[in-house]
Amino acid sequence: MALIRVEHLDKSFPSRHGTISIMQDISFEVKDSDFVAIVGPSGCGKSTLLRLIQGLDRPTAGRILFRGQPVDGVARQMAMVFQSFALYPWLTVSQNVAFGLEALGWSPERIAPQVEKYIDVTGLDGFQEAFPRELSGGMRQRVGLARALAVEPSVLLMDEPFSALDALTAESLRDEILQLWQDPALPPDAVILVTHNIEEAIELADRVLVLSRRPGHILAEIPIELPRPRDRKSSAFYDMTDRVYSLITEGRPTTGAEPAGEGAERAGQML
Amino acid sequence: MRTTVLPSARRALAIYAAIPTLAFVFLAVSSGSSLSNFASYLPRATVDMSYSFTRMLAAYALSLGFSLAYGYYAATHRGGERIMIPVLDILQSVPILGFFPFAVVILAAATPGSFIGPNFASVFLIFTSMAWNMVFGVYESLKTLPGDLKEAADTFGLRGWLLFRRVLYPACVNRLVYNTVLSWTAGWFFLVEAEIFTTNTKNALQGIGSYLSFAASASNAAEFLAGIVVLVIVIALLDFVVWRPLGRWAERFRYDVSPSGETEIVAPERDSAGRFHRARVYVTERVRTGVTRVTTPLVQLAAITVRPVRPSSARRRSVYYYLALGTILVIVWLLLIALVVALLSVYTHPIEPSVRALIAQVPAAVGASTLRIVASYAICLCISLPLAIHISRSSRASKVGLPIIEVIASFPATALFPVIIFQLIPFISAEGASILMLMTGMMWYLFFNILSGVRSLPPDLVEASRSYGVRGWKFFRRVLLPGIFPALITGSITAFGGGWNTLIVAEYLSVGPTKQLSLLGLGQLIDIGNSLGSSGYALMATALLAMVGTVIAINELIWKPLYRRAATRYRYD
Repeated sequence: MALIRVEHLDKSFPSRHGTISIMQDISFEVKDSDFVAIVGPSGCGKSTLLRLIQGLDRPTAGRILFRGQPVDGVARQMAMVFQSFALYPWLTVSQNVAFGLEALGWSPERIAPQVEKYIDVTGLDGFQEAFPRELSGGMRQRVGLARALAVEPSVLLMDEPFSALDALTAESLRDEILQLWQDPALPPDAVILVTHNIEEAIELADRVLVLSRRPGHILAEIPIELPRPRDRKSSAFYDMTDRVYSLITEGRPTTGAEPAGEGAERAGQML
Repeated sequence: MRTTVLPSARRALAIYAAIPTLAFVFLAVSSGSSLSNFASYLPRATVDMSYSFTRMLAAYALSLGFSLAYGYYAATHRGGERIMIPVLDILQSVPILGFFPFAVVILAAATPGSFIGPNFASVFLIFTSMAWNMVFGVYESLKTLPGDLKEAADTFGLRGWLLFRRVLYPACVNRLVYNTVLSWTAGWFFLVEAEIFTTNTKNALQGIGSYLSFAASASNAAEFLAGIVVLVIVIALLDFVVWRPLGRWAERFRYDVSPSGETEIVAPERDSAGRFHRARVYVTERVRTGVTRVTTPLVQLAAITVRPVRPSSARRRSVYYYLALGTILVIVWLLLIALVVALLSVYTHPIEPSVRALIAQVPAAVGASTLRIVASYAICLCISLPLAIHISRSSRASKVGLPIIEVIASFPATALFPVIIFQLIPFISAEGASILMLMTGMMWYLFFNILSGVRSLPPDLVEASRSYGVRGWKFFRRVLLPGIFPALITGSITAFGGGWNTLIVAEYLSVGPTKQLSLLGLGQLIDIGNSLGSSGYALMATALLAMVGTVIAINELIWKPLYRRAATRYRYD
């Protein structure tokens, strides 16, 4: 049975100029031990999709099943890593990591070793009592990751987790996340990563879902069968990147609301 | 934009109409007298109103000039900044209204038989209630002007007048317009309060406040109603003809989405766009404008004391700098000397035994007034906190409730005191009436600050709480309360300031020979001292000094430590 099934998802927002459709008819599956990346141009509803999956937002139509059960309300078996880190500046690193565990009603005696474990796993040892503002961007996102892993989620949702970091920091954090992912003793069972960085998606994921520009729908679902660790300079990697890139920029016109040329140009700028 | 503004405008209009209607019903029921001839009092009320309005205009013109000059200088001259901003902080935390009786007495004595003295005193009083927040508006706008905008101007060689006109002034306009509306609201409150106050003296000022006070003392409900109607019409006209169009015009100068609730006044639909629109803009803007929220008045003071002391730079300063500094020092020095001389002369004169007995009550009055203000603050907090949270989390409450609250807040409650308060005393006791009056002077500072605090909570932090299932009390304690802490402290400080300023009428309100509210407190002693003439100077001075001392003590011992905490721990960055 699929871990997550997304069925015919539609999302639209009311606005001053009528209804804005964010995404149309999105369907896909995530299986156990799947690492799925969702890529697409800015504004195609990638982040909204992630929020719909966890139940932070409700779809206009369609449904999401988690282990066969419809997601109704916020799914606590999933944990989110935010682009902006979303760390509480008034809480220490330990308190931030314990944030979700407290909400689960764990006792302090149970929380402490759990927090310690994931602080250790994410390489934050020694920073337990620091406040987020005292950390670099990379270290902050480690706290965000530790907070998410600490609740031992079935599904880890990552919303552009590296795009607020500089290139070098992002690269080393990506490597570490891959190592954590390949450790069978650690959660999660599956990862859904949202990104606008095509190379990042191909480097990390088992499968890449390519979304069109707004209203977003799935243009393609591309399995990445390159062996890990993947070499960004290899020609196979390059070919894969090129394929996804041209899919997005040429993006078969959808509802015809805008001329295709303009859409392609916009996608090119934003990527 | 126009189409979305209109419904809220219509709602606001309804509230404006409701105020005199309610007053009408209330007066008709409570006084039993006929109100049908109230129209015959309208001309007189309009004439008195025009006096008050002229005072407001004069005070506003002064405030505008002052805030541009002072704010510009403080923002662009580091040396000036170091002195000017703390000075402003002290000025705005002193209950200026307490000095008003003194100012009237001194200025009336300086210009015997002339209307200039008391008028000057009242314009000055209104100025002090308008100016400070406008100065901070200019100062903060200039300080938070993005560095690249300034640099771009530099690369093109913009200087002097051109730089002011093209870069600095447009940068201030948005904040200045918003703060202007706030200033006028505070101005009306104090204008009416000051005019009511002067009716107890021989230097009664002609104006809408004294008109209402006289109408109340003559128990003329129709006359009173006419005054309220004129006041509401003027405030509503200003709102619709000046503030709303001005706000829309000022929108074009906004280069930034402000993190506080400021945008709501001019663009109420912005909030309804929801997370979809905001989240993206917000997270990026947040980082840049994060400074704005902490640069509220007292944080400045905290920031100055927290900032590490740097060795004085060997930078050369112009002759003008020393000239200006010298002039300021000389003026401050002269003022200090004048104050000491005045106090000496007050206390060296023989003090009558009856006055001496009143002076002995000052310590007890300090306690009574403080308790009253604390009680009023507690009630205001219990109302504001849930109300602000509800309004910011429900877009319906925000659309319906906020315009109503804004209109109510813009009406000077002091205008209703002379009649309404005495009708309420049988039900809520004199003490309750006094606390109610204090609440009208404290409530809105607290409410609007908390509201802007809840609104500027970064949406991703709220969403992360939902994602991790943190709700209810845990959410309040872990996320909401720390998140709004700086705004809560700012609101508390300004609310206390408002409370001290309202004390003068809240503890001693006398209308006609029969109706009198008099409760032991500093406000009461200042009023009594004022009514005693020259023999009461010692009492007034002692009560005033005690008030200033209490305010400074509370600031130093409670607010400043809390503020330092807010500025360091509960800051977003």
